[in-house]
Amino acid sequence: MDSEDDMHDANDVDSLDDFYSGDTGMASDDGDGDYEFIDNDTDDSDDSTSHRQQQNYTILNEEDIRQRQEEDITKISTVLSIPRVSASILLRHYNWSVSKVHDAWFADEEKVRKAVGLLERPIVQIPNIKELTCGICFEAYPRDRMYAAACGHPFCGTCWTGYVSTAINDGPGCLMLRCPDPSCGAAVGQDMINILSCEEDKQKYSRYLLRSYIEDNRKTKWCPAPGCDFAVDFVVGSASYDVSCNCTHSFCWNCTEEAHRPVDCSTVAKWILKNSAESENMNWILANSKPCPKCKRPIEKNQGCMHITCTPPCKFEFCWLCLGAWSDHGERTGGFYACNRYETAKQEGAYDETEKRREMAKNSLERYTHYYERWATNQSSRQKAVTDLQQMQNVHIEKLSDKQCQPESQLKFITEAWLQIIECRRVLKWTYAYGYYLPEHEHAKRQFFEYLQGRAESGLERLHQCAEKELQVYLNAEGPSKDFNDFRTKLAGLTRGRCLVLHL
Amino acid sequence: MSGGGGGIARGRLAEERKAWRKNHPHGFVAKPETAPDGSVNLMVWQCTIPGKPGTDWEGGYFPLTLHFSEDYPSKPPKCKFPPNFFHPNVYPSGTVCLSILNEDSGWRPAITVKQILVGIQDLLDQPNPADPAQTDGYHLFIQEPTEYKRRVRQQAKQYPPIV
Repeated sequence: MDSEDDMHDANDVDSLDDFYSGDTGMASDDGDGDYEFIDNDTDDSDDSTSHRQQQNYTILNEEDIRQRQEEDITKISTVLSIPRVSASILLRHYNWSVSKVHDAWFADEEKVRKAVGLLERPIVQIPNIKELTCGICFEAYPRDRMYAAACGHPFCGTCWTGYVSTAINDGPGCLMLRCPDPSCGAAVGQDMINILSCEEDKQKYSRYLLRSYIEDNRKTKWCPAPGCDFAVDFVVGSASYDVSCNCTHSFCWNCTEEAHRPVDCSTVAKWILKNSAESENMNWILANSKPCPKCKRPIEKNQGCMHITCTPPCKFEFCWLCLGAWSDHGERTGGFYACNRYETAKQEGAYDETEKRREMAKNSLERYTHYYERWATNQSSRQKAVTDLQQMQNVHIEKLSDKQCQPESQLKFITEAWLQIIECRRVLKWTYAYGYYLPEHEHAKRQFFEYLQGRAESGLERLHQCAEKELQVYLNAEGPSKDFNDFRTKLAGLTRGRCLVLHL
Repeated sequence: MSGGGGGIARGRLAEERKAWRKNHPHGFVAKPETAPDGSVNLMVWQCTIPGKPGTDWEGGYFPLTLHFSEDYPSKPPKCKFPPNFFHPNVYPSGTVCLSILNEDSGWRPAITVKQILVGIQDLLDQPNPADPAQTDGYHLFIQEPTEYKRRVRQQAKQYPPIV
């Protein structure tokens, strides 16, 4: 690979950034199909991830959640002068909204107490006799072995334990537990649970209480990534739904699918439904390998970028997407590594095809296949990049630091490059879902969209290629390389160039 | 682990039996099943619910079986009329659909057999149209009140008092 060429290209991107840096006046980010370029790069070149920094959400770990919950309970308990257990029951009833509790309570305390089951005084007085009959097992017990909620209905310890345990094992409904007496609405709170339950049930109850604080609250959600214990507190009404959890999973607050900017939630839902409906077809069509265009041996793609080199003796270099030769592939399509345009791609393969074949190209499955294949390819490239980044952070950075005699702090540009690749792969992936649903007849829009997508794609390919392949040279070097600083400049430049975010 | 109540089912049912013998509402029958060899099964009760006087159900003595589980009284018993019993809130299998018998909502362990039976007697003449369990009974109740009443009276005749 001749790096002069690449340097030139990196500069080229910079100049394009300038070109786009003014607001183009086509802005409208509400997903109705207009475009907007947001250039995060113009004023502050260190701010490579500035869209993540304007946070309209907070990531909470379990400790944070408990603390917030305790604070809210304390607030209500103090302002309403009620016990903490009662405050907790009230808050749960009003979906943990402190202001809703205030409003309801001060509007009509009597009504709220009744609805929630917070009694001010007992309904029945426990008669002053030695033995009482339990209302569940009908056995007689001495007074000191009987328990009652605020209402005063007495039941024996064994029956209470059974009642509470059944409720807890039936699920989060135990948070709304009432007295076992059928006519009584008195709430049974955590204080009773702690007296009457075994350790395991107490733990479960407290877990449900914590979960309720996140799940019943309109402003919070759990991160949907499997095994992730973080929750997100979101400022409702914010413009962007993108949330990036501390576990590195990015998702859309609104639909909890993975983050899908620039595409809106309904398009994503449609696309996901379509994929699952036709996934078997797709799996068949896109089996995990492609034959090398030259030697026809099957090749499995296990590297991140689209530049494939067949193993010796063939060594044929080609583009994974269109299977065209790597050398002449770029010139024909206009963009250097671009391989994004459906029409162009069709024409490329159709030089020797008949009119009939051209009609077939309009066949919806073929069209869908085109977009799905590129969507899925970017998806797996992104997945690979995530793994590569981990490998980079865990192993390679240290190795590189030794080999090139560079402090690790000076190698941050590599991590940043990979983070950028991951983010761009995600955006690029979703542009294919967007493209699929872009109305056929809107030619101007489609052309502009494909132009932008093409730019984004070729830039990203350069970046990915540089971060993945060109880095190898320095990793495998015997000692410090003279041109390592050039490499740094190039990769950092490509990374910055990719801050060009496509907004649809 | 059936909710700590494991084991109390039989004790409670024995107490229920005692309480019923001492005092029960007029016309009702409730007794544990007796096997041909004379042994008593406390977990299944054969009951009779009389139709309320002054309603279309009057004169009928409807057989109901209560099936208790080992989780009783943490969990409610299953209450069954004969299959295809005509009533908007009775499933084709005969199972009664009633809020206090629903373990997820209305059931409380302190509900007694007497309260269950009286509750079902009330349900007979006051169906809950929000919770239909069979098409036949529900549609007639909503759309053809006259035919509905006729069917109820006809069913009452089908279940005369056992002498």
